[in-house]
Amino acid sequence: MILDWKRIIAAILALAAAGMLFAWSGLLDIRASTGHWRVTDWFLHWVMRSSVRTASLGTEPPAFTPAMLPLAAGHYEIGCAGCHGSPAMPRPAAAANMLPPPPDLKDVAGSWSDAELFEIVRHGVRYTGMPAWPAVGREDEVWAMVAFVRAYPQMNTTTYRRLAAFSATQSRDFAHLMKTCEGCHSSERLDQTSLIPQLTGQSETYLRDSLKAFVSRKRPSGVMQAALSQTSDEDRGNLAAYFARQTTPERSGPFSGTIDRGRTLAEVGDKARGIAACAACHDRADINPAYPRLAGQPAAYLENQLRLFKAGIRGGGPFADVMTQAVAGLSGEDIRALAAYYGASRN
Amino acid sequence: MVPGELGFVRHLALGLRRSISESLEGRTQGEAPTILRYLLPFTALILVGCGGQQSALDPSGEESEAVYRLFIVMVIGGVAIWLGVSALYIYAARHRQTSWPPAQASALIGWGGVAFPVVVLLALLGYAVWLMPVVRPWNSLAGTDGAIEVTGEQFWWRIRYPGVNGNPAFETANEIRLPVGQPATFSLDATDVIHSFWIPALGGKMDMIPGRTNFLTLTPKRTGIYRAPCAEFCGTSHAYMAFSVVVMEQEDFEVWRRRQISGHERSADQGWELMLRHGCLGCHSLRGEKIGGATAPDLTLIGARHSIGAGTLANTAENIARFIRSPVSVKPGAKMPAFDMLPQREIDDMARYLGGLK
Repeated sequence: MILDWKRIIAAILALAAAGMLFAWSGLLDIRASTGHWRVTDWFLHWVMRSSVRTASLGTEPPAFTPAMLPLAAGHYEIGCAGCHGSPAMPRPAAAANMLPPPPDLKDVAGSWSDAELFEIVRHGVRYTGMPAWPAVGREDEVWAMVAFVRAYPQMNTTTYRRLAAFSATQSRDFAHLMKTCEGCHSSERLDQTSLIPQLTGQSETYLRDSLKAFVSRKRPSGVMQAALSQTSDEDRGNLAAYFARQTTPERSGPFSGTIDRGRTLAEVGDKARGIAACAACHDRADINPAYPRLAGQPAAYLENQLRLFKAGIRGGGPFADVMTQAVAGLSGEDIRALAAYYGASRN
Repeated sequence: MVPGELGFVRHLALGLRRSISESLEGRTQGEAPTILRYLLPFTALILVGCGGQQSALDPSGEESEAVYRLFIVMVIGGVAIWLGVSALYIYAARHRQTSWPPAQASALIGWGGVAFPVVVLLALLGYAVWLMPVVRPWNSLAGTDGAIEVTGEQFWWRIRYPGVNGNPAFETANEIRLPVGQPATFSLDATDVIHSFWIPALGGKMDMIPGRTNFLTLTPKRTGIYRAPCAEFCGTSHAYMAFSVVVMEQEDFEVWRRRQISGHERSADQGWELMLRHGCLGCHSLRGEKIGGATAPDLTLIGARHSIGAGTLANTAENIARFIRSPVSVKPGAKMPAFDMLPQREIDDMARYLGGLK
C-alpha cells in the first residue's frame, strides 16, 4: 500500500470523525465517582505542577507581615474553608467527593514555593474547581493569602478562630451580618499594622459609596467582593447607616520621626512637587461626606490604599478619580509618612 | 516714529479689504486687469491675518516695533535684491547674446558677486545688531527686583506680582496686566518642561527653562488686550496654553492692583459653600481665604479675566462649568480631575459664583 498525502489526510479525518462519534455516543463516562485512571491523574497533576512552576518564574514575594493573616483569614473562612476545610472545621463531606478532591492545605502547602502559591491563588486552576481570585489586579490581597497558607500548617483551632473571627454572610439576620463585618473591622481587632480599615467614624455616604463600589467592582477587592456577595442593597444600606452611627474609640499609634513630615504634607502639601494638602478635603467638618475620614485609621491600611491609588487600581466611589489625581506626585516615602501621620492622629 | 508707519501692513490690508468690498458691489472706477481682480481678494485675505491681538506685524510695544522695523527693512532689502537679480537674469538671457571678455566678466563677478553682497549683508547685519539693545534690553537686567515672576506649568501660567512701593506681592494666573508706557521686566521660569514666553504684539520670545531664570523687559506703548501663546511645544495641550495681556492706563492699573491685593470677598453664596465642600481650595486659592492650595491656578477675581483654562475658552459661566465637569475634554493632559460626578446644578452654582468674582 502506498502512503501518500491523500491517504494520510483521509486517515486523520477518519480518526477525528471516529473520535467525535465516540464522544457523541456517550460511552465515555465523566463520573467523578469512578475517578481518573492513575495515568490520567498523574498526567494532569504533572501538567499542573509544570505549568504553575513556569508561570511563577520571576515572581518575587514581598516580606510577609503578621497583619496579612487576619485579612486573609477572614476571606479564607468565607471563600475557601467550604472546600478546603479549616482548623476549626474539617473538610465538608460534599467537597471531599469533588474530582480532584480539594487538598487539605496542611498537607500540600509545603510542596509549593511562595511564588507558586501566589500563581495558584491568583489565577486558580482549570478543570479542578479552584477559582481565580475575584480581583486579579489586587496582588496585595493574594500575597496576604499566600502568607496565610504558609502559616496554615502550624495553625491550631484557637489561632484560626482568633484570626478569622465570625462569618455568617449567608444569614439574612442583620445582627449576624453586622457581627460578620465586625469580625474583621472591629476596633478592638485593629492596630497600626492592620491592613483592614476601621469603619466607625466614617460618614454614611462614604460607607455606602464604598460598599456599592466593591459590589460593582469599581473598587476591586477579592476579600470584600466575597464578603458582600450574599448581601442585598438594603443590607448594605443598613450596614452603612449602622457603622456611621458608631463612635470611635480613642487610639493613638506609635510616634516616629516620619510623623512631622507627614503632618507638613497633610496640612500644607508641597507646591514644588504639585502635591495638594490632604487636609483641604479630609477630616474637615464642613467637607463633602463622600470624602473619608483618615485620622485614626490603621497606618498600614492607609499606606496600602495610597499605594493602590498610586498604581491606579484602587478605584472606589464616584470621587475616587479625584484621589487618583491627588496622589500622583507622592513618593513611597511620602506615602509612609502620610500613613504614619494619619495613623497617629486622634479622631 | 510716525504712528501710521508702523501699521503699514495693517493699513494695506484694510485698504485692500475696502477695495474688495467695493469691487464686489461693482463700484470700481478703473478697469483692473482680470488677474488682479481675482488675486486681490486672496492677497487681502492673507494680509488681514497680519493684524489682531496676536500679531508681531501689528506691534504695540517698543521691542516689537524694533522687530517689526527690522522685518520691514529686511523684506524691502530682500525684494530689491531679488528684483535686481531677476532683471540681470532677464537681461543676460534675452538681450545679450555674445560672451563677455574674461577681464570684464571677472570684474562683474568680483563687484556683483562678492563686493555687492558683502556690503549689503553687512549693512543689514549692522542694522540688526544696532537694533538688538532695544529688542533685548540687557541694561535693564541690573534692576530685576521688581520683575513680574511668570512660571510656565503644564498647561498654564503662574504669575506673581512682587511687592513694590509698600504694596504687598500677589499671585494670579493666566493674565498679565501692565501700565502703558512703562518698561515691565519679567522673570521667567518653568516647573516641568521648557515653555516659551511670547507676547507677539509686545515682544519676545524668551524660553522658560526649569531650574533657570531668564529675564525679559518689554515696554507696551498702546493700551489693549493681547494674546500670548506658549511658543515652545510643551505637551498635549501646548496649543491650549496661552495668556492674555491687558495694557491699561496707569490709573486703571492701580485700581486693578488694589483690587487684586484686597483679594477674595466672600459672600454667602451656595456656589462658595459648594467650593468649600468639594475641596476646590485644596489645589486652587482665593486670596485671603484661610484654606488655599498652590498647586493649581489662583482663582482670585477669575471672573475679570479674559479667558478660561489659560486662553482656551471665553470667560463665561457655561465655559467654567464645562471645565469643572471635564477638564481633559477641554484641555487634554490637564491635571485637574473631572467633577462630572457632581449634579449639574452644583457645578452651575460654582461656575456662576466664580464668574461673578470680578
